Amino acid sequence: MNMDSTTALAADAQLIRAIHSGDERALSQLYRLHWPMVSHFVLQNSGSEDDARDVYQEGVMVFYEKVREGSLELSCQIKTYLYAVCRRLWLKRLTTKSRLHGVRLLDEEEHGPYLNTGAEDDVQEAEERDRRFATMSEALTHLGEPCRSLLEGFYLLEKSMLDLTAEHGYTNADTAKTQKYKCLTRLKKLFFASYKEA
Amino acid sequence: MQTEADYYALFEAYQRGELAAGARASLEARLGAEQRLGQLYAEYLDLTGTLNAYGERRRTRHTISALHEAMLAAEATPVVETTLTHSVNPLLRISRTERKLREFWSGHRATVGVAASVAVLAVFSTLLGLDVWRSANLPTTGLRELRLEVAQIVRSQKALSRKVDNRMGDVSAPPVRVNKFSGTGFALTADGYIVTSAHVIKGADSLLVEGRDHQRYHAETVYADRKHDLAILRIKDRDFKTFGRLPYTFKAGQADLGERVYTLGYPREDAVYGEGALSARSGYDGDTAFYQVSIPLNPGNSGGPLLDAQGNLIGVVSSRQDDVLGAAFATKSSYLVRLVDSLKNRQPEATYRLPHTNQLAGAGRPQQLKRLQDFVFVVRVYE
Repeated sequence: MNMDSTTALAADAQLIRAIHSGDERALSQLYRLHWPMVSHFVLQNSGSEDDARDVYQEGVMVFYEKVREGSLELSCQIKTYLYAVCRRLWLKRLTTKSRLHGVRLLDEEEHGPYLNTGAEDDVQEAEERDRRFATMSEALTHLGEPCRSLLEGFYLLEKSMLDLTAEHGYTNADTAKTQKYKCLTRLKKLFFASYKEA
Repeated sequence: MQTEADYYALFEAYQRGELAAGARASLEARLGAEQRLGQLYAEYLDLTGTLNAYGERRRTRHTISALHEAMLAAEATPVVETTLTHSVNPLLRISRTERKLREFWSGHRATVGVAASVAVLAVFSTLLGLDVWRSANLPTTGLRELRLEVAQIVRSQKALSRKVDNRMGDVSAPPVRVNKFSGTGFALTADGYIVTSAHVIKGADSLLVEGRDHQRYHAETVYADRKHDLAILRIKDRDFKTFGRLPYTFKAGQADLGERVYTLGYPREDAVYGEGALSARSGYDGDTAFYQVSIPLNPGNSGGPLLDAQGNLIGVVSSRQDDVLGAAFATKSSYLVRLVDSLKNRQPEATYRLPHTNQLAGAGRPQQLKRLQDFVFVVRVYE
């Protein structure tokens, strides 16, 4: 292993630590650093600027969530990992878009070896999670008011029970809480019904 | 009996560590013992966990797309005053239009490539196909009919004369209609019938016959026989009287192999003499209506007379074979004689008085030619 990649790995480790601790500047730096590579890759492979943006954001999301969870097992540079993730994501989109099975991607030599980076599994895991969130979003929509805004306010927007009590015009926090638990049981039925059948 | 909602309240309090020690211990004991309660708790955790993660995800998405906006904004403003600042990637510092173009190019590169190669292929296959089609439409492959395509010669001549005109500051001459093809012809009878090759007058709009003295006559086609490549013309001009007595006779029989033969023709503006031997008594592809002769012939020779040493007309020059050296073909005079006979029967009012006496026999070649050349003409074809 030469000096370059050693220092690169050290810089990567530092960046990951910073992101894990919730440093937004580190994330921003990472984002700007690898955007040209991914954008170039997508544009090269019959994608538009918007496609590149979507794919890259999705890819960074996968990386970010893994880092925040602390479950990222990086066996290569961040750059290679991101390339592998975005490559995988774009390949999926291309295949569904073109309905062709034989999509071939143009790769830049310098970014290989993008195989065996663990990216494949991580992307799959992220997809599973996406499906779960989509089901949740649907279940929330079907729940109807006032349950939806009550639960969204509490869990998604992280509002306090007091704020929500005032917002929804409940007489006291206990009534609001009771209402919340009832809503939660209904959400449970909706969510598990559609998540399991899907 | 507690409802599910009540349990949820319990779970939430338990999770947050708000339960008193006794209540907590009893709940933990029940969770361990009661399977139904355990499952309920697991579902609760799953549900609230998903909700929390979903909230987290929405915030993250928001953050990341803000990062993108910030990055674009940072790129849009920078660099102008401080030349030392370097952008993340030079690729990103290009104009909007160029970016659009690059995007288009990288997106449609493959398509453009395919389209271009299809276009090139189509052009070449069309050209090739046309060429093949045209050569397939030639009556006999390898056989070159010897009429002269004059147009290109004339074009360059016109360009020359235009140059000359300009030099002399002259008023340009009125445009002359030029003939497209030319061949050779010779007198059949003294009173204005002329023989030439059928392919010479193919597609003719009007015909002009021009003698050595540059006397021009308008002519019309009397009969054309494509199969034997023979055509008979008649001079239309009223003031035309006669060519005078023809010095040669037409041989009704066949000439012999190895006979010395010659021809006089107009492959260019002057009469050209060509000499050789009769090398075969059949023509291209064994066609017995033709002789093969070893005379070097050129386009424009077509329709010229082929004479033997005694001055008997034995054939009409027709074509040459391009892939065989020195092989030219001439229609046998016997076919010409037979054609005239049949025309006599078909058109009793027309008189074909073929010459009976040969004035060339015994004379030297130059003398023969001197007498012959007045009866050999350029046939100009206008389309």
